[in-house]
Amino acid sequence: MPDQTPFPTYMKDVLLRLKKQLPCRDNEVSMLLSLFGEPQHYSYPSILIYGHRATGKTFVTQTVLQELKLPHAFVSMVECFTPRLLFQQILSQLSSLYPSLDEEFHCETLNDFIRIFRQLSTSNVLDQQTVYIVIDQAEVLRDMDANLLPGFLRLQELVGGNITVIFLTEIVWEKFRPNTGCLEPILFYFPDYTKAELQQILCKDRHPEFSDDLYATYINILLGVFYAVCRDLCELRHLAALNFSKFCEPLLKGEVRESDTHKLWRSIEPHLRKAMQTVYLREVSSLQWEMMQDTKEETGYLKGLSAYTHVDLPYYSKFLLIAAYLASFNPARTDKRFFLKHHGKMKKVTFLKKHEKTSNHLLGPKPFPLDRLLAIFYSIVDSRVASTANIFSQISSLVTLQLLTLVGHSDQLDSPKYKCTVSMDFICAIARTVNFDIVRYLYDFL
Amino acid sequence: MTTSSVSKGCFVFKPASKKQRILSAGDYFHDEDEESASSKLRFETLQSLWQQIKLETDSIQEELNKNILDSLAEFARTSTTFFRSKTDEWTFRMRSSEIPTAALVLGVNVTDHNMTFQNLSELLHQSVTPYVVGLDAKDCPSLKHTVQKVLLQLMGYHLSVEEDEEEPQPKANISGIPKKRIQCSIATLCEWYQTVTKDSNGLSPSKKRKSTLGKFGQNPPIVVIFKDLESFTSKVLQEFIIICSQYIHQLPFIFIFGIATSPATVHRMLPHSVSSHLCIELFQSLSCTKHLATVMDKLILTTSFPFKLNGKTLQVLLSIFLFHDFSVRNFIKGLQLSLMEHFYNQPLSVLCCDKHKASKRAQVLSSEECENVRQLPSFMRYVENQEPDEQVKLLTDDHHLKEVVQQLLKQLHLYHKNYYPVLRCLHILTSSLPKYPLGKQIRELHSMCLERNVWETEEYKSAFQLLRLMAKDELLTGFNKCLEILTYGKGKVINEVQEKLETFVKLFQELDNISLDYKEDDGEDTSPQKGFQQKTDLFHLQKTLLEMKELKKNKKLTKFEMLRLEAIDFIDHIVKKHLLPPEYLALHEVVYYSCSGTLRKHLNAAPRTAIQTALNNPYKYLPNESLQSDGGAISSTAPDICIAYKLHLECGRLINLYDWLEAFGTVVSATEGNDTESPVIDDVKHARFIRAVSELEFVGFVKPTKKKTDHVARLTWGGC
Amino acid sequence: MSKRKSKDDSLSIGECISLVQKILRERICCQKSNGKPFGVEMQQKHLLELLKRTVVHGESNSVLIIGPRGFGKTMLLNSVLTELLGMKHIKGNVLIVQLNGLLQTDDRIALKEITRQLNLENVIGERVFGSFAENLAFLLEALKKGDRNSSRSVLFILDEFDLFAHHKNQTLLYNLFDISQSAQTPIAVVGLTCRLDVLELLEKRVKSRFSHRQIHLLTSCDFKQYVIMFQQQLLLPEDFPDKSFAEEWNQNIRFLSRDASVEEILKKHFFLSKDFRSLHLLLMRVLCRVTVSNKTIKPADLIEASHLCTMDSKANILHGLSVLELCLIIAMKHLNDVYDGEPFNFQMVYNEFQKFVQRKAHSVYNYEKPVVIKAFEHLHQLELVKPMDGPSVRIQKEYQLVKLLLDNSQIMEALQRYPQCPTDVKQWAASAFA
Repeated sequence: MPDQTPFPTYMKDVLLRLKKQLPCRDNEVSMLLSLFGEPQHYSYPSILIYGHRATGKTFVTQTVLQELKLPHAFVSMVECFTPRLLFQQILSQLSSLYPSLDEEFHCETLNDFIRIFRQLSTSNVLDQQTVYIVIDQAEVLRDMDANLLPGFLRLQELVGGNITVIFLTEIVWEKFRPNTGCLEPILFYFPDYTKAELQQILCKDRHPEFSDDLYATYINILLGVFYAVCRDLCELRHLAALNFSKFCEPLLKGEVRESDTHKLWRSIEPHLRKAMQTVYLREVSSLQWEMMQDTKEETGYLKGLSAYTHVDLPYYSKFLLIAAYLASFNPARTDKRFFLKHHGKMKKVTFLKKHEKTSNHLLGPKPFPLDRLLAIFYSIVDSRVASTANIFSQISSLVTLQLLTLVGHSDQLDSPKYKCTVSMDFICAIARTVNFDIVRYLYDFL
Repeated sequence: MTTSSVSKGCFVFKPASKKQRILSAGDYFHDEDEESASSKLRFETLQSLWQQIKLETDSIQEELNKNILDSLAEFARTSTTFFRSKTDEWTFRMRSSEIPTAALVLGVNVTDHNMTFQNLSELLHQSVTPYVVGLDAKDCPSLKHTVQKVLLQLMGYHLSVEEDEEEPQPKANISGIPKKRIQCSIATLCEWYQTVTKDSNGLSPSKKRKSTLGKFGQNPPIVVIFKDLESFTSKVLQEFIIICSQYIHQLPFIFIFGIATSPATVHRMLPHSVSSHLCIELFQSLSCTKHLATVMDKLILTTSFPFKLNGKTLQVLLSIFLFHDFSVRNFIKGLQLSLMEHFYNQPLSVLCCDKHKASKRAQVLSSEECENVRQLPSFMRYVENQEPDEQVKLLTDDHHLKEVVQQLLKQLHLYHKNYYPVLRCLHILTSSLPKYPLGKQIRELHSMCLERNVWETEEYKSAFQLLRLMAKDELLTGFNKCLEILTYGKGKVINEVQEKLETFVKLFQELDNISLDYKEDDGEDTSPQKGFQQKTDLFHLQKTLLEMKELKKNKKLTKFEMLRLEAIDFIDHIVKKHLLPPEYLALHEVVYYSCSGTLRKHLNAAPRTAIQTALNNPYKYLPNESLQSDGGAISSTAPDICIAYKLHLECGRLINLYDWLEAFGTVVSATEGNDTESPVIDDVKHARFIRAVSELEFVGFVKPTKKKTDHVARLTWGGC
Repeated sequence: MSKRKSKDDSLSIGECISLVQKILRERICCQKSNGKPFGVEMQQKHLLELLKRTVVHGESNSVLIIGPRGFGKTMLLNSVLTELLGMKHIKGNVLIVQLNGLLQTDDRIALKEITRQLNLENVIGERVFGSFAENLAFLLEALKKGDRNSSRSVLFILDEFDLFAHHKNQTLLYNLFDISQSAQTPIAVVGLTCRLDVLELLEKRVKSRFSHRQIHLLTSCDFKQYVIMFQQQLLLPEDFPDKSFAEEWNQNIRFLSRDASVEEILKKHFFLSKDFRSLHLLLMRVLCRVTVSNKTIKPADLIEASHLCTMDSKANILHGLSVLELCLIIAMKHLNDVYDGEPFNFQMVYNEFQKFVQRKAHSVYNYEKPVVIKAFEHLHQLELVKPMDGPSVRIQKEYQLVKLLLDNSQIMEALQRYPQCPTDVKQWAASAFA
C-alpha cells in the first residue's frame, strides 16, 4: 500500500515511528490501521488475528493502539481464569478513560458487564471514539462459559456503542465456532517471518562491540542450524544471545580473522548442534550453559536433566515395576508361556501369530488387573516373599510416583487396574540392577 | 507425618506426636507391674535413652541435609542478584526472561521429604527471603486453587509481619484481604508486592531496622516450592508457570521442584513452550542408602548407647528399609519401637544403661529380679561352667550373685568397647577385596558377626586367603587406616592391638629397605604381587593362588611373605578374640533386644495371613479351650464364619449356596448331638449362615457372581 | 461538523472519503442505518400486524422469528419496532423489554433485568427478594394488575430464544407464555432464534401455552436481488453533502456491479451463502481499501478482498511450520493412508519418520527424540492433531492416541506453497506408501 497519506487523520511521524518499531510488519500494520479506520468511525465488531508464536500479533496490536493513543483495554486470558477476573480487568483498565466509572463496580456475569458498559458509552466522554478490547490467548475463552465467546463477538451490538473486540490467538477460527454459530469476525492472518526477515530482525540487535556483518554471518549460521526445528523469534534470539560469546571466542583468541567465515562456521557449528539438545530443550539452564562457555569446559561434562534417568527404588519395588511392565506390554495369553515351567506347545502358535500384529511397544501399555501383577511378581522374584501390607502399599506409592497409573477411578476398590508408564530403557536399567534379563520376558522381542 | 502418608504407601502408620505416646506408655508401665519402682526406673531410662538417640538423629539429619540446603539457598540468592544485576548487559537484554528454577531430586522415600522441605523453607525464611510458599499437589487441583494458595500464604505471612510492628496504614488494607475476597490473581499479588517492598525499604529506616524485610535487600525473591511435582496435573502447572513468567519483571519468582523420581519428569510434564520460560538447575540430595549408613554408624555401631539389637531384629529393620521403603525415618521409628519393646518386656532392662549406673543398679537388685537373672538362659549357661560350690552360691546367695552380675556387666561393656574398633578394622581390610567376600557395607559384616562365629564361614576363609596374597602397599594402607580408627578406641586391649599393628607397619617399611639388597627374592615376591595388581576377577586370583601354592612347595617363603602371614594371622587372632557373637556372653539379654517376631509383626504386617490364621484356628485369637481344633476336623463350636470358611475351602471356583448351607447346617447341628442325616435348618441357623457368608464376602473371600444362580464366586486359591 | 459542511456542497477529497467511510462503516458494521430489510416485506407486515394488535387492542401474543444467522432477524424486528413507535397514538403506551439469551444466562438474572427495564426498581425499593419465587410473584403481580384495555402493553423481545429454553425448568418462558394466554396485562413475546427445531426444546407445558406462530426468514432471493442488495449497501444517500462526489461514487458503484469479474466473485459468494453478514465481511474488506489515494472501488479491490475472505486459515498455519513439524505431519498422513483414519500415537509417527530418515543417506533430519517430541507437542498446541481421550487421563505423551485434523489435499497444497521445501520431503509426501 503506497505511503502517501493513506490515513489522513494520523500524523506521518507516528506512522514512521510505527514502521521503525515494527520491522517487517508493514503490511500488517497498514491493514490493521485501515481496519480501524478513523477514531470516530465504526470499526467491525470483532477482529480475529491469528498466526504462530512470535509473529508479532500482540506486539503489533499493542504498539499500534498505544502509539495512536486509541482508547483500549488489553487482557491476557491465561491470567483471567474466571469470567469475573476478565470483566474486572477490562473495566479497571477502561476506568482510566471514563472518569464517571467508579471503582466499586463488581460484576459477576456478562449481563452486569454489559450494563456497566452501556452506562459508560452513554456518558459520552470520548466523543464516539472506537473503544478497542484486545483479548490475548483468546483460545482460552472457549473453555469458559459458553456465552462468553459469542457475547464478546457481538459486543458492539449488545452494548450499542462504538466498540471493537480484537482476539489474538494461535488457533484457527474453525476451532472457535460454537455449534449454533455466531457472528463471524474478520479473520486476519499474521504470516510467519521468512528466513530473510528473521535474519534482518535478529541482526537489528547486534552486539555493540562487534561489526555488523560479523553478526550477520553469525545469525546466518545460527539460522542454518536451528531454522529447520524452530522459527520462534524469541527462542532464536535467546539462542543467539547464549552462543555468541562462544562464537567470538576464536576471534578474541586471534586464531581466526573475521573474514574467514568458513573457519568460524566449523568452530561454532558442532557447538550449536549441542545447543539444540541442551539449551533448546532446556536440558541445561542457560546460566549453566554460559558458565560452561566461560570456563571453556569440554561441553561433554555438563549433563542434561534427562541424563539423570537413574532412579533407585527399594528391592521389591523394582520387581513390582518390572512385573507391571511385563504385564502391560505382554498380552495376557502369553503369561503362561513366560512364567510357567511346562508351558506345553503353545509357543509355536504364538510365534506364528506375533509377526502379523504390530508390536506392543508401538501401541503403548495396556491396563492390567492387580492380581495379574502380583502373580507375575511372585513368579519373577526369586526369594519367597510374604504378601505383607508393605508390598501392597508399595504399589500405591509407585502410583504416587507416577511410575504406575491407576486406570479408571481410584474409588473403585475391588479389582483396580493399573498401567505401567515407564520407558523401555528405564525399565532395562532397573532390571540390570537386579540382574534380571527382562528382554527374555518381553513378547515383542522374541 | 500426616495420614496422607499412609496412602502414600510403604509406611507403617504411628501416632503423630511421640510425647503422648510415651506418657501413655509410662502409666501403662506402672499399671502393668506391681513393683512400680523398677518399672518407673525402666521407663525413665527408656525416656532418657530415647531422648539421646533422638538428639543424635536430629543432628545427623541436619548435617546431612546441610550442604544441599545451603546450595539451594545460595542458588536462590545468586539467581536473584544475577537477574537484577546484569540487566544492562547485552546478552541479558537479548535472552528471554526466564524463571530461575531448582529441580531438587530427593529420592523415592516420599515421607522423608516433608522434613527436608520444612528445613528448607525455614532456612530460606531466615537467610534469603520472607516470601516462601509451599504447594502440595493435593490442594492444587486447579489453577484457581493454586493461585489462592499462593496468595493466602504470602499475604497471610505479610499480615503477621505487619502486626508485630504496629503500623496502622498498611494494616487497614491488609486486614481487608482475608475478609472481602479480593480477586485472586497474580496482578493483585503484584500490587501487594510493590506496596510491601516499598514501605519496607522506604521512608522511616529506623523503624525498618527491625522490620523483617530489612535484612533481605531491596526486593527479596518469592520462592514457590512444588513439593511433589509428579502429582501435579501438568495443565495447572503449565498455566501457572506461564502467568508467572508474564510477571517475572515485577515479581522475582523462584521455583523449586521437589522431584521424587528423576529430573526427566520435568520434560514429561511441560511442553517446550512452557519449559522455555524456566531456567532449570539440578540439585541432587544424597542417596538414602548413604544416609542409612551414617545412621547405622552413629546409632548402632557405637558404644555410646547401651541398647543393642541382635542379628535377627537388625535384619528385620534393614530388610524393611532395603526391600520395601527407603525411609530412614521409618528405620529410626523401628529402632524406637524395639527400644520400647525391650524396656517393656525385659524386666532386667533396668541394667541396660551405661557402665557405672549399671553396676550401681546391680547392687540394689531386688530378690525377684535376682530370680529373673537366674532364669536367663545365658546366665544358666554361665553357671553350668562354674565349679559346683560356685554354682550353689550363685543360685542361692543373692549378694554373691549381684557381685557376679556386676562383673559380667563389666565384661559386656568391655566386649562392646573392643568389638566395634575391631569390626571396623576387619571391614577396612576386607572391603577392598574383589567380589567383597565379607560384604561391601559394614552393616553386612556386622550382622554376619552377630549371627555366628565369623571365622567359621566360607566367606571369611576366602577373604583371608585373599588377604594373605595382598600386595604390600595395599596392606600398608589398610593397616594405616586401621591405626587411625584404633586411635579413637580406648582401653588397654585396643592399645595393645594398636602397638602390635604399628610394629608390623614398621617392619614392613624396614622390609623394603632390606629388600633393596635382597635382589633375588625381591624378584620373586614381586611376581605374585604383579599377579595380584589387577585384582579384577576371582578366577584369576585362584590361579595365582595355585601358583603361589606350588611356589611354596618348592621354595621357602621370602621375608615379606612371612611377615605378611604373621600379620594376617594376628588379625585373624584378634578377630577370633573379639568378634564372637554376643549370644556367647552371659547376660547379653539385658542389652540385646532379640524378639524379631514381634518387631516384624508390628512393622511388616501381613493382614491376609492374619485373617486366614484367625479363620483356620480361632483359638489363636480367642483363648477358648473348646476351640483347640485338631487338624482338619471342623469343630462345631467355632464361630460361624470360621465354619463357613473351612467349608468353602472344599469347594471349587463357584460355590452352590444351598449345598453350603446344608453343610453348614450339619456342622452346626452336630453340637446338639442329634445325628439325623438331614439336619433341620431353622431360621436361626439360616440367619447365622447368611451372616457368616456376608462376613466372608466383606473380608473378600467370596463375591456374588452372575455366572450361575444362587452361586457365589470364590476368590481364594487352593483348599484342604 | 456535517452541518457546517452542508452549507457549501464541495468538500476536500479527504473529507469526502472520511465521510464515505463514516456512512458506509455505520451501514456495514452496525446494521442500525438504512434498516430496510430486503425481500421480507410480507413477514414484516405480518409481524407489524401482530404487534399492533397487542399494542392497540391489547391482545396478548407470542411469536417466534426463525432464520439462519445473518439473515436479518434483528434488522426486521428493529425496522418493525421503529415503524410501530413511529405511530403517534401508539407511542407512549407500550413498554419494550429486550432480553438476550447470551446475557441473561439464568432466570434470576433475567428477572432482575426485566424489573430494571420496566423501571420497577423504585417500586421494589430496598426490599430484597429472598427467593426467586418471591421476585417472580411480585413481577407477575405488577403485570397482572392491569386488565387488557386500561394498562400499557409490554413487548418482550427474547433474542437467542433457544438459550432461554435451557434455563432450569423454563420458568421464565412458562410464565411469560402463561400471561400471554390469560387476559391480563397485554404482552407480546417475540423470540428470535436460528434453531429451526427450537420447539422441540420446549417442555410440554410451555409448548402448549405458546401460540404456534412462527415467522420464517428463509429468504429465497435470487442472484439479481443479491446484486441489488450489494449495490444498496454501497450507494451513497441523496443527502450526501458533496453532490458531485456522491454522483461520481454512485456512478462507479453501478458500473462496478455490472463488471464481469465482480459478478464472478459475487456469484461465488452468493453460492456460498446469501446472508447479509458474509456480504458485509466482504464489503468491509473492500471498504478498507478505499483511501484518498484510490478513492473509488475498483474490481481489483473486490477480487483482492474476496481472496482474503476465502483464505484457508489452516493452510496458512501449515505454512508457518518448521520442516521437522512438516515431516511429522507427512508421517501422520502416511499413517492415515495405511490404517485408514484410525487414531495413532506419537510412537508410530516417530517410527514412520525414522523410516524416512533411514532411507535418506545424508542424515539432515535425524534429531534426538526429545526434539521431535517437542515438535509434536507444538502441533498438538496448534490443534492440528487432536487427542482422542481427554487430558484428564494421565498417560505418557508418546502413547496418547491422536487424530490428524487435516486432509491430504490441504497437506499437499501447503507443501506446494512451502518456502524452499526440501525436495526429498516433497517426494516422501507424494509417495503413495511410506
